[in-house]
Amino acid sequence: MENQKSKQAKNRGTFHSRRTFLKATAASVALPYLVPASVMGNAGSTAPSNRIVMAGIGIGNMGRGDQGNFLGRDDVQYVAMCDVKRDVREWSKNQIDEKYGNKDCKAYNDFREIMVRDDIDAVHCATPDHWHAIIVIEACRNGKDIYCQKPETRTLREGRLMIDAARRYSRVVSGGSQRVLEDYRKIVDPCWNGDKGIIKSINVNVGPFPIDCNKKGEPVPEGFDWDMWLGPAPWAPYHPHRCSGSYNINGESWRSFKDYSGGGMTDWGAHHFGGATFAIDVRELEPEEVIFHNENGRKFATCRYPNGKLIHHNYPGRGNMDVEGTNEKGPSKPVPDYAGTGGIYGDFIDCVKTRRRPFRDIEFAIHTATVCHLFLVAYELERSLKWDTANQRFIDDDEANRLVDAARREPWVI
Amino acid sequence: MTKETTKLTLAAVTATVAVAQTDSTAINKAVETLKTYDWGDDPETLKPIDRAIIATHGDTAARMALEKRLVEALNGGISRSALDYVCRRLRIVGTRQSIEALAALLPSEDTSHIARYALERIPDEKAVEAMRNSLPKVSNKLKPGIIGSLGKRRDKKSIQAISNLLSDPDIQVAKAAAESLAMIGTPDAANELSKFAKKASADMKIPVADACLMCAEQFMASGQKSEAVALYNEFKSDDQPAQVKAAAMKGIITAATKK
Repeated sequence: MENQKSKQAKNRGTFHSRRTFLKATAASVALPYLVPASVMGNAGSTAPSNRIVMAGIGIGNMGRGDQGNFLGRDDVQYVAMCDVKRDVREWSKNQIDEKYGNKDCKAYNDFREIMVRDDIDAVHCATPDHWHAIIVIEACRNGKDIYCQKPETRTLREGRLMIDAARRYSRVVSGGSQRVLEDYRKIVDPCWNGDKGIIKSINVNVGPFPIDCNKKGEPVPEGFDWDMWLGPAPWAPYHPHRCSGSYNINGESWRSFKDYSGGGMTDWGAHHFGGATFAIDVRELEPEEVIFHNENGRKFATCRYPNGKLIHHNYPGRGNMDVEGTNEKGPSKPVPDYAGTGGIYGDFIDCVKTRRRPFRDIEFAIHTATVCHLFLVAYELERSLKWDTANQRFIDDDEANRLVDAARREPWVI
Repeated sequence: MTKETTKLTLAAVTATVAVAQTDSTAINKAVETLKTYDWGDDPETLKPIDRAIIATHGDTAARMALEKRLVEALNGGISRSALDYVCRRLRIVGTRQSIEALAALLPSEDTSHIARYALERIPDEKAVEAMRNSLPKVSNKLKPGIIGSLGKRRDKKSIQAISNLLSDPDIQVAKAAAESLAMIGTPDAANELSKFAKKASADMKIPVADACLMCAEQFMASGQKSEAVALYNEFKSDDQPAQVKAAAMKGIITAATKK
């Protein structure tokens, strides 16, 4: 008995040290920290005290898939989840408890209860988009790494705040589009291999734009914390379409509506523009200009980067992910890939262990989201705009600057 | 008729012409619709107003005329849904002439946020003043929102009032105050945060440390390296949470290596 106790104490000591290490180690400035495979238990199964302790926030739809992926990993110990819908909480907790054969998983309605838990290393977030920035920033503040579903932001301003929080606390923060690498590899490879010559532009066809929601209220279902679901968004009466997590983007899910999302422009845009920025290698940049075109009522737009490369949106006569280059053989460079095993989820977990930046590092993910939002503002105002990356403002356009952010409903402040 | 009145009349005439050019019948109908517009009604019926917003860009008089009609609607006892619509549009076109009507909505729990939705984005000092004046008058439930909007506008005149709320027993108010002072980010704001950090309760330790680190980053960005380092030094001790201590150390190293 005594031996067992001292063994547990010893394990807790190791565990605590590892956790303190994870909280305090710089992902951006430190040299990669390579944990020996034997320490992580990779030679066989992972020692329980060396698993990454995780929790999930927002488990409907994409969150359900994310939970399944993290839960299925041997190097993850999934200990808590949060959702504002009671039935989702019950389903999720059951899945987790079943996996471990116990009743230990804690289920929360309020994500802040997860944030204050010292034993949790990392979280994944798949709430609607209007919650992402608040949750990512809160995770970073509390020393937690975070995998955040795409699109990562709902407004332009949120992006820089998220990057700053990630860098301030040296957190591993990964965006969530698996398609950037997995779907668009066939577009990316020829570009990076030099087969297209000097890349001039790429075109993305995606939509629709987000719309206003004025649906009539219905009684809030029992067990659904409607006020928490709305969170920082303007108050509105409950309607099932307003908050449905389905992948519909035509007025029957939150993905369609301006208060919660950028519509298809950010939902699918996160994938397509993510692939486009990767293919033409501008992931580290933000556009300096968005040019709005209206040719006989046909509206389309172009983002221009400081290096002259262009991303078109709905350019007439060009297909989705259509790359324009000089077409002579150019120099090739190695194509970045995920770390670890298990796709984008494995990449995140590997980076949590090694403190490297993930493939979909928050900065790259935000730069993609910024493209989507710049297009949205230009289309909303129907004019071309110049973007000051350093100050995150439109140049000489006070009206456009009003759309850089939106006031959040109390008590939510970022 | 005074010179000023003549100017305004001429502006109104010009505005009417400009709005007429953007289909005044449709706009009139849409503005009329606002009087009865409610949840469940088709937002498409209000689209002429959206089109007029785009069409009147750069035409100050036409914009003022359009804004005036929205303000009149706001003052006309419209439904929450219609009010919501109007405030969203005033977020884009609102000027000083909207502020009084919007400010009147700040104390109500039903309308405070949507009023800020417009006020926070109107680039006029009077909008900030309206929010600042409302702070002592609104309920604790609404205070975090007002505090946050004042922070986003970097309102130096609110530093003292917001600093006083750092120790508010309502944790939402106190957290908002820390966040807001970080956004203001001046030496005075940082000083208030720094003073409070020494006596912060357990649940305010991380919010106030984060706010100070944000201030330090702003100092670094504006070349005030010694002020930044002084702030970082306050958070490098072992009694700080591990991530805060690491962030402070990283800040000190960054400052030391930055030319």
